[in-house]
Amino acid sequence: MRIFISGFGTIGQGITEAIGKKKAFFEYRYGKNVTIVGAMDSKTYVVGQNGLDPEELLKKKKDTGHVGDKSYSSPSEALKATDFDILIEATPTNVKTGGVGVDTIEYALSHGKDVVTVNKGPLALKYKEITDLARENKCIIRFEGSVGGAMPIINLCKDDLAGEKIKSIRGIFNGTCNYILSKMDNGQPFEQALKEAQQQGYAESDPTNDIEGYDSACKVVILANSIFGKNATFDDVDITGITSISADAVALARTKGMVIRLIGEVSATKLEVAPRLIPKGHPLSLPGTLNIAEINTDLAGPILVSGRGAGRLETASAILSDLVAILDKRIGE
Amino acid sequence: MIVNAELFVNDLPGQLIGSIEPISLVDGNILGVVHNRDKIIDHRICVNLTFEVDDKRLDELKELWQSKDIVISNLGSVHETYSMEYILIGDVDAQYIEDLLRKINEATTLDEVNVSYSTKSVKNAAHTSLISVKARYEDNLDKIDAILRKECKRANVTYVRGV
Repeated sequence: MRIFISGFGTIGQGITEAIGKKKAFFEYRYGKNVTIVGAMDSKTYVVGQNGLDPEELLKKKKDTGHVGDKSYSSPSEALKATDFDILIEATPTNVKTGGVGVDTIEYALSHGKDVVTVNKGPLALKYKEITDLARENKCIIRFEGSVGGAMPIINLCKDDLAGEKIKSIRGIFNGTCNYILSKMDNGQPFEQALKEAQQQGYAESDPTNDIEGYDSACKVVILANSIFGKNATFDDVDITGITSISADAVALARTKGMVIRLIGEVSATKLEVAPRLIPKGHPLSLPGTLNIAEINTDLAGPILVSGRGAGRLETASAILSDLVAILDKRIGE
Repeated sequence: MIVNAELFVNDLPGQLIGSIEPISLVDGNILGVVHNRDKIIDHRICVNLTFEVDDKRLDELKELWQSKDIVISNLGSVHETYSMEYILIGDVDAQYIEDLLRKINEATTLDEVNVSYSTKSVKNAAHTSLISVKARYEDNLDKIDAILRKECKRANVTYVRGV
């Protein structure tokens, strides 16, 4: 099976590394190898119909800042340069327009290619169009890593909890906000906690998407559409970020034995991202950068899952699980 | 409501059942029974019962016990309440909170309300207040939530509620 990797930042490099590391696993499970035949970053691309060496791709990116030597004017130009079976879409999320990811996903699906993506933008803005396109072209699209990174949630609900009625899902879906709020638990003001998150590499230089709740809102939309069968978009989510959470508010919560956490909540009647008061010791009071979700079902009751919400190999692990699911279906175990 | 009752029944066969049966007759739900044979007064044995019952049917239950010659020594009730905390951040002085609570009281019944204020930060113009409420019914919390959500949006106040 031939893979094209679109987006060669942290996540693209992570899955490239993972595919290289899992060569023996693929050969054992499928009796054949999985090869990367193309990769592109924001400016360049590289193709090789006989397979590209993952280590060489990573080295080239590290040494030159680019994955390839050829530049392109549109992403489809790079995708047309080689034949492939599965697109791994890992370009940066753009919650306003969907970004490059919309074009690459639509190109792949309309050309009969399966897609694995972790890009929240296209899923939060054009979920129905994308899944309809996949259905029309008999393609598979999977996106486990788009919510919660390494924390299994979408496939858990759709596959392992198949038959259950999922009544609601609520959880911490943004590690950056949780890091900041955890620091505020200890008396640090918001601005200092944010600066520390940036210095630690947990927050980007422009943290708007995280601290205004937009990133969590995208994940709420993805869960609403994929698990609750809604046709929601980003604009349907009631969003309150954490920028107005003051040290006073955190201190006042502490006097009642509570902490403040940014919670995303999805149910049949609610799509919301908002800071909430959580009793200390409650699973959703989790500190640090971990993600956690509480899934409420009709038969199994509440189910808790937790894991690292971001990171190079953590997100690669979610992409890998989607890749294996597609390969199982296309090749058979 | 949940009721704890201390009864004294005659020390005769079938009297324990006789003290429990009326609870079923008023559609109560028995949570605990202790036949306290160590506590005997005037040839009567003590029975401690804990049960859930509709508060409107409690008088009927008392009459049933009395008709069976059962002595009610003590009867205490506990109401199950639902509690919720809300933090409001913004231009929320005591007058604002008072107006807000008045609107809530007009719309629903609260068993208990406590309001705490943070000391105003020198650096931050926003006030912070924490409202803790207890209500008899879960629906009341939904009504409070709807009012706070609407009023805080109107006043540009950040509203943080419990889970």
